[in-house]
Amino acid sequence: MTMTRLTTFAASLIVITLTSLSGAAQAETERLSVVASFSIIGDFARIIGGDAVEVRTLVGPDSDAHVYEPRPADAIALARADVVLVNGLAFEGFLQRLVDASGTSARIAALSDGIEIVHDPEGGHYHFSGGQAIFHAAPDDPHAWQSVASARVYVENIARVFCEADAEGCAAYEANAAGYLGELTKLDEEIRRAVAAIPEDRRVAVVAHNAFRYFERDYGVSFLAPQGVSTESEASAADVASLIREIREKRASAVFAENIADARLVEQIASEAGLSLGGTLYSDALSPPDGPAPGYVEMMRHNVETLTRAMTGG
Amino acid sequence: MRRLILTASALAIAATLGGAALADDDDETVTAWRLFVADHSAPVVKVIDALNGDLVDTFTVKGPAALHRSSSGATVFAVQGAQGEVNAIASGITFHDHGDHADIDVDDPELLHVHIDGAKPAHFVELQGNIAQWFDGEDKVRVFTEKAVLDEKLEMRTASVGAAHHGVGVPYQNHVVVSIPNPDDASKRPVGARVVDFDGNAVGEDVACPGLHGSAGSGSLYALACDTGLLLIRQEGDAPAIEHLPYAASLPEGSSSTLIGGRGLQYFIGNYGPDRILVIDPSEGENGFKLVQLPTRRVHFAVDPIRPRFAYVVTEDGQLHKIDVLDGKIAQSLRLTDPYSMDGHWNDPRPRVAVAGDSIVVTDPLNAKLHLVNAETFEESGEIAVEGKPFNIVAVGGTGKVHAHEGEGHSHDDGHAHEDGHSHD
Repeated sequence: MTMTRLTTFAASLIVITLTSLSGAAQAETERLSVVASFSIIGDFARIIGGDAVEVRTLVGPDSDAHVYEPRPADAIALARADVVLVNGLAFEGFLQRLVDASGTSARIAALSDGIEIVHDPEGGHYHFSGGQAIFHAAPDDPHAWQSVASARVYVENIARVFCEADAEGCAAYEANAAGYLGELTKLDEEIRRAVAAIPEDRRVAVVAHNAFRYFERDYGVSFLAPQGVSTESEASAADVASLIREIREKRASAVFAENIADARLVEQIASEAGLSLGGTLYSDALSPPDGPAPGYVEMMRHNVETLTRAMTGG
Repeated sequence: MRRLILTASALAIAATLGGAALADDDDETVTAWRLFVADHSAPVVKVIDALNGDLVDTFTVKGPAALHRSSSGATVFAVQGAQGEVNAIASGITFHDHGDHADIDVDDPELLHVHIDGAKPAHFVELQGNIAQWFDGEDKVRVFTEKAVLDEKLEMRTASVGAAHHGVGVPYQNHVVVSIPNPDDASKRPVGARVVDFDGNAVGEDVACPGLHGSAGSGSLYALACDTGLLLIRQEGDAPAIEHLPYAASLPEGSSSTLIGGRGLQYFIGNYGPDRILVIDPSEGENGFKLVQLPTRRVHFAVDPIRPRFAYVVTEDGQLHKIDVLDGKIAQSLRLTDPYSMDGHWNDPRPRVAVAGDSIVVTDPLNAKLHLVNAETFEESGEIAVEGKPFNIVAVGGTGKVHAHEGEGHSHDDGHAHEDGHSHD
């Protein structure tokens, strides 16, 4: 089987032709068969595709794509898909093997293609080999959806790849995208107004992992975290001690749990720093339908309300 | 013995870099795979370079061994049931996973000084660096960490299993899932599983698992095979939780008693009668079972950690079969060895299979050799002669990039790999 490597690609999609499963490729219905790598992309896909698409999301609500273990059913879904939507920027560590296993001939679109990437100066880590410190850079932060400006690019990329896969439905996809982009414009304004109402010296938060750098860049709330970009890496005692010092220096106003991460670490940090938990932020996944963040817009609103309430003591 | 060779460009970097170095395109890609092969009747474990067939080392133990490798690949355990001993071998190939990449160090394999003695050591389970060694002749399961083994400072914890029986323990940080002995006759198969801590307390309710035998892990999920289905064990919060997954109603009468777990994809394969296997995707519930009919009785099977869509089965007619896990079908078959009948003693010398990089390796104990099959073409690609009766086998290795270090000629010592394709198993 040919090995296909997923990278950020200029045209925002690549077409892979491999041996596909017998009877695969074309969905049983007339609808476009779409696989979304995780819940936030799944939400975008449903909104842009409407009734014309059938969306299967691999990493579901409250689940962590960093540590997801794909199943045979996922590979079968990929094999049958017309379009596969992924974040890119090495967010979906499981994806390459899944693509190889599936032999899919679907269009695979990395939705972060074209965004303004946050190059994380601390993205990476040292380790020691042969007595030498070796730095492994992980320079591109994948959590771009935490910026509404990036989300707009995701939406435009989805509309484009849907149009390429289904020219007949293109007008509807573009109309859905235009409507949703209008919603995102309003959401962006809402977030800016809400953050402006937080006193500047209170705009420092503590979270479990570095998932909010795009939010920080676009909206001016600073986030401190004991871990690297991926929830796979565990914070060491030294990292925690260093973070406590930083919390005191920067006078962080609140500590937040994340829906995808074990809260014990941030509870420990909050306790040691003398701060209380300000609530749960949705970082890398939506909530289930009956939760506070069943869609992207609701997720961003919930996060901003949670931040505002904790930081203003409201 | 070292087998990593750096090119001139990597050596040039080694000569010019000072202090911290950035991993870059000049890092050298290195592949290292080792086979650990136990003899059917002699007390030896041989270490063979899978890439060139060279014998790296031979370790003398107390008796014929069943071999188990840890998920990290750093350690291979030789369980010698008849001799009441378990030995640990440092594989010499170690990975350091950093999420976005893995590093590899390649050193000589070594028979470690730690060994575990006890009455009838049997099932061995390793999960995320925690190990549970079961002893059929004891009423406690012993739990320790791979790190302690490699440090040769073994700290043993024990958990009660009620009564001595042929069962299994699955280790977690503060708990063990243990089989429950048959209350009427502990010599019969266990009747269920329970979560216990190291203070003798049971956590939660016992879960029925009549005829419990066979266990495997796949990613973070662990499964025990029962007459009625699988018990699926997940860590939830502080303690493991057990859920029963019944066999699909559409399946014919039968059950699994031997399991293997997928790597790269989360699935299990179990035997289902002597000449069928069952591919199980637990995420699909009732619809997650695919029965595969084999041409003759199954001798041994293994999953492919590099190409997760495939697993391999050796049958008694001497064929190796490539199983497509997604289709639930035999994709290809290859005649490889003389027939090995499943009649006779269960532990008679018969082929065993392991995957080492791009090679599927099948032991042929009565012909003193290993067969190598190219995993891509599924054609026999070579043989390795092994003195005696090469029987149980595990493979450790992977591919990655080697950093060069200042002042080091980097002979073969300090391989340090990155994996784009992340092909270490």
